[in-house]
Amino acid sequence: MKQVKQTVKQLRRSPYQALAAALAMTLTFFVSSIFVILIIGGQIVLNYIEQRPQVIAFFKDDTKETRINEIVSDVKSTGLAKEVKYVSKEEALQIYRERNKDDPLLLESVTADFLPASIDISVNKASDINKITEFVKQKPEIDKVITPENLVEELIKWTQTIRLGGIVFVSTLVAISFLIIVMVVGMRIALRREEIAIMNLVGATKWYISRPFFIEGALYGIVGATIATFFVYAIILFYSPNIQQFLGPIRIFPINPLFFLYLWLAELIVAILVGTVGAAIALVRYLRV
Amino acid sequence: MIQFESVTKKYASHLALEDINLKIEKGEFVFIVGASGAGKSTLLKLITREILPTSGKILFNGEDITKIPNNKIPILRRKIGTVFQDFKLLLSRTIFENVAVPLEVLGYKDADIEREVSQILEKVGILEKANDFPTQLAGGEIQRTAIARAIISKPEVLLADEPTGDLDPKNSLSVVGLLDKISQETKTTVLMATHNAHVVNEFKKRVVVLQKGKIVKDEKEGRYETG
Repeated sequence: MKQVKQTVKQLRRSPYQALAAALAMTLTFFVSSIFVILIIGGQIVLNYIEQRPQVIAFFKDDTKETRINEIVSDVKSTGLAKEVKYVSKEEALQIYRERNKDDPLLLESVTADFLPASIDISVNKASDINKITEFVKQKPEIDKVITPENLVEELIKWTQTIRLGGIVFVSTLVAISFLIIVMVVGMRIALRREEIAIMNLVGATKWYISRPFFIEGALYGIVGATIATFFVYAIILFYSPNIQQFLGPIRIFPINPLFFLYLWLAELIVAILVGTVGAAIALVRYLRV
Repeated sequence: MIQFESVTKKYASHLALEDINLKIEKGEFVFIVGASGAGKSTLLKLITREILPTSGKILFNGEDITKIPNNKIPILRRKIGTVFQDFKLLLSRTIFENVAVPLEVLGYKDADIEREVSQILEKVGILEKANDFPTQLAGGEIQRTAIARAIISKPEVLLADEPTGDLDPKNSLSVVGLLDKISQETKTTVLMATHNAHVVNEFKKRVVVLQKGKIVKDEKEGRYETG
């Protein structure tokens, strides 16, 4: 604790270098947090879309119930469908009412006869969407087929791009932070050269001399990761109603505060590692004991 | 206590010390004298393991310190206090803080540091200067601070490299008098490198004279003739 206090005292003697190092760390971990949230959020959206029916086939009005059952069985027998759900005209009306419950004008004149019966099909693999679409289109009782087309594939591509971009961008920032730590700690070693020489002569061990610099590196990491997580938490908290409105039925918010605690702890470990390894490189490079 | 056995030290083409054989007993006060470049500082640096000899052995309490691994050097240095001509005080720290450095290194608690530093500052006569900075002190007081720092951890050996170099004759005698007092009271072995004949001749101690890296004279209650 005494050495932590002494290190903080040393930092206050040249605050601009300390500020530069802490800011670099903050920026790195702020961007990292944003990417982590984007990647996890993207995965939640992807999971949601994958679980939704990917093919919806609407029946012509005069299709008999028995024929519908036959078509459902035919679709199931292809082995491509994970789930086939029949939605009758009445159920379609219920869904319509639920979705438009806040708009009485839209509810007024609509009855079950206006809405077609349909089957909602979920596929096992996104690549089977086209096959199953072609299969149901061949049935003369089918009026119209809608599919989200390549939405899932697009989303997969996007999440992969975000992940790859995140790794490259964050790695670059980590490397920059690392170099700044090496430079700042190196400058501090140079500033304290005389003191280090005296410590060395009075019998200080290499570890005793090096310890304040390791503490300094770790402090930059702790400050950076903590400020970054706090800002991300505040921003998410502030914008969550808007983002949730944009996402519609995909429930992401409210994010469990424990998530931010784990994010902070994970970033803390990485940040302390970056800080101390940076300090170690500076010590190897500049400390001649 | 300290024994040099056939020690030679070469710096590139320059021969700093040649075939030095010297034995110093515990509690002895020894002046190492000679002109500039005679090898006095080299001799002291060999004892603190700042440098290694080109050949020969240096025994400290029977252990050859030329063979000790680097991680054991701090243990050796804790047994040695050093006073420098240029004082080597930290200008950004107070006198108290400067003297406290060796105790901090040894991991003393704050209360113990407070007590020990106050006692030693009183002993060297600068307790009232404890909160001053080195730049606020006179030469003699600064050297007393350096002595206080060198002896606070109760070393077995005290090395003083030209401690009177920047002092006037009165302060020089006073500083060496202090070293002598410490040596007698605590049985600390003192090795003082100097070319100040006045001081050497005043104290009548063992005198080892170096000339061009060789011991040319070693006398108990010796004198240093510069002419």
